Amino acid sequence: MAIHEPGRRLLHHIPLKFVQKKVEGHGHRATSASLNLTSMIDFFMTIVVFLLASFSASGEIPIDKNVKLPKAENTLDMVEAPMVAVNGSQILVDGTAAGSTRAIEEAGRMQRIDELFNILKSKRELWKATQGGSGKSFPGVCVLQVDQGVTALVVKSVFQTAAFAGYPNVSFMVGQLPKHEH
Amino acid sequence: MGGVSVDTGGKGGRKSVDSEINMIPMIDLLICCISFLLISAVWSHMSRMNADAQVPGPPNPEKELNPQPPDKMLHVEMRTDDKFTLIWKQGPTVVNSIDVPRHAVEIADGATTVIRYPDLATKINEEWKTNGSHRDSSDKKMDQAVLHTDNKTVFKEIVAVIDSIYTPKRDFGGASKQIPAFNVTFSVN
Repeated sequence: MAIHEPGRRLLHHIPLKFVQKKVEGHGHRATSASLNLTSMIDFFMTIVVFLLASFSASGEIPIDKNVKLPKAENTLDMVEAPMVAVNGSQILVDGTAAGSTRAIEEAGRMQRIDELFNILKSKRELWKATQGGSGKSFPGVCVLQVDQGVTALVVKSVFQTAAFAGYPNVSFMVGQLPKHEH
Repeated sequence: MGGVSVDTGGKGGRKSVDSEINMIPMIDLLICCISFLLISAVWSHMSRMNADAQVPGPPNPEKELNPQPPDKMLHVEMRTDDKFTLIWKQGPTVVNSIDVPRHAVEIADGATTVIRYPDLATKINEEWKTNGSHRDSSDKKMDQAVLHTDNKTVFKEIVAVIDSIYTPKRDFGGASKQIPAFNVTFSVN
C-alpha cells in the first residue's frame, strides 16, 4: 500500500488534535498551503539551465564608468591584456592615471604620452621578467577602451604611444551589434 | 517531509524496492546553483576590433634577405564630409581610386545612436573581391588597410569605418570561423 489518495500531508504527524483539525481545515480555511513541487522544480531547472548556458568563465571585464563605448558588427572575442581607458579628460591604465586627454587636444598635434609610455613599458618588462623565461614571445597586445566622443587626435596619440612602448597589436573594445547580411 | 515515493513491490520478505527521493536537499542544491550562477553572471558581453601598428620586427642576420615587391594596400580616406576615397596603392604607385558617398545610417541604441556606413561596407567588400591579394584560405598574410582621418573626427565614426573595412571575411587555414580579410592600421598624417 504505497499509492496514496491525494490530499494534505504536512503537519499530520503532530500529535495534537487542534493542530490536525486546523490543518485539515474543518469548518475554516486551512492554514497550510500545499506547494506543487513538480512545477517548482521545473522552474528551478529552467533557470539553472539558462544561467549555465550564459555562464562565462572569464568573468566580467571592468569598464571605466566615464567611457561610453561605440558598437560594431564585425568584432572578435575579447583577450586578456592591459586595459587602457581613454575618456574625455584622462587616460588610465588598469585604473591608474596615465595622462590627460585635454593636454593632447590643447597641443593640437599627435604626440607620445610619456606617462602612458612608462606604465606600458614597465608592464612589458614585468611580463618579460615573470614569463619571458618560459620561451613564449611577448604578445604585444593591449586593449583600448575609448569613449565614443574622443577625437581621432587622441586615439592616434594613444595608439602610437602603445606601439612605441612595445604593444603594436592594439584592440579597440566595442559593444556588439547584431549582424546584418550585406 | 517532502519526498517522492516510487512503489514497486517489496512483498514476501524480500528487500523492498521502494525508494524515496528526498526533495529537500535537491531543492537546496538547485537554489545554491541559482544563487551562484546569478552572482557570477556576466550580463554585458564586450568584443574587440583589432588594429595593427605595423611595427617591423628586428632584422634576423641569419635569414637571407629576398626583396619582395610591396603588397597592394587599401587606403581609406575620410577627410571630407561628403565622401570616402578608396585608393589601392602598391608602394607609392596608385593602382586604383574610387569615391564612395559618405552616407551615414543612424541606428537608435537606447538614448544614443550608432553610426553605420553600409555603402562603404558594400564597396570595400566588392573591392577586396576584385583587388585583394590574400584571398586563399592557405595564405597566412592578410590584406592591409590604412585609415586616413583628420584630427577632429570622433571615435564613433572611426569605429563605423573600421567596422565597414572588416566586412569582407575569408577562410583562414583550417579554422572553423571566418576572419576579417583586412588588417587595419592608422595613417599618422
